[in-house]
Amino acid sequence: MPDIVPGEESIILQMIVALLYPFMLLFGFYVIINGHYTPGGGFQGGSVLASLFVARYVIYPVEDTDSEVLHAIQRVFLSLILVAPMVLLFTGIVTRNPELRTLYLTTMDILIGVQVGLGLGVAILRFAFFEGVGKTWHL
Amino acid sequence: MRYIASALLVLLVFVMVTGITASNRVELDPMMYDYMVRHFQEDTHSKNAVAAILLNYRMYDTMFEALILLTAIIGMTQFLPRAADIEAGRQAHARASADGGDEESETEDDHA
Repeated sequence: MPDIVPGEESIILQMIVALLYPFMLLFGFYVIINGHYTPGGGFQGGSVLASLFVARYVIYPVEDTDSEVLHAIQRVFLSLILVAPMVLLFTGIVTRNPELRTLYLTTMDILIGVQVGLGLGVAILRFAFFEGVGKTWHL
Repeated sequence: MRYIASALLVLLVFVMVTGITASNRVELDPMMYDYMVRHFQEDTHSKNAVAAILLNYRMYDTMFEALILLTAIIGMTQFLPRAADIEAGRQAHARASADGGDEESETEDDHA
């Protein structure tokens, strides 16, 4: 199992991922927040957010992210996903106040997006580091 | 033989499902479809019918879809060991076989 030196990866990959990383983050949140205007939504944007974990793993395959913490945050968001429609939608608050509709849609999209992003991130990290940190990419 | 049997089973299921669906076709009045397509904007203030259906008409579907992801991740974290766990188990096994003596060759083969 070779030791990973962070500067040892391909400089092309490092530069490309460093360039694209903020745009991937921006695109993920764009897809999430515009879920009720354009195609997209929580699940799709969350998958885009999860690709951030893949990009980071490709250039820096070191297991320094605690997937248990990510899983705990994901569970918090999941409980919010379960609670928010019960409080807002099923009690009829949103139905009686139509001006809350857009806020409700955006909130649910953001909650689902972050939950799916963190969930897929946990899955990706667990599978990526399943066999240890020996897999590197060299161009 | 087993592969031929499973291929025949798949073919049989395909033929049965498509045949039964084709022979018992009932043309339903697409009430739900019409209602959702016509009224989703004033019902949910969403510009996107998919978001309107996912987050309003079929909210239970979305909630339990999110739960499915949690179930998958729970299974993964429970049954997929981490690299650190594998390493700890390997060291414990090496220590145990160093005490016992005669199991060391097996562990070498396992982790080669």
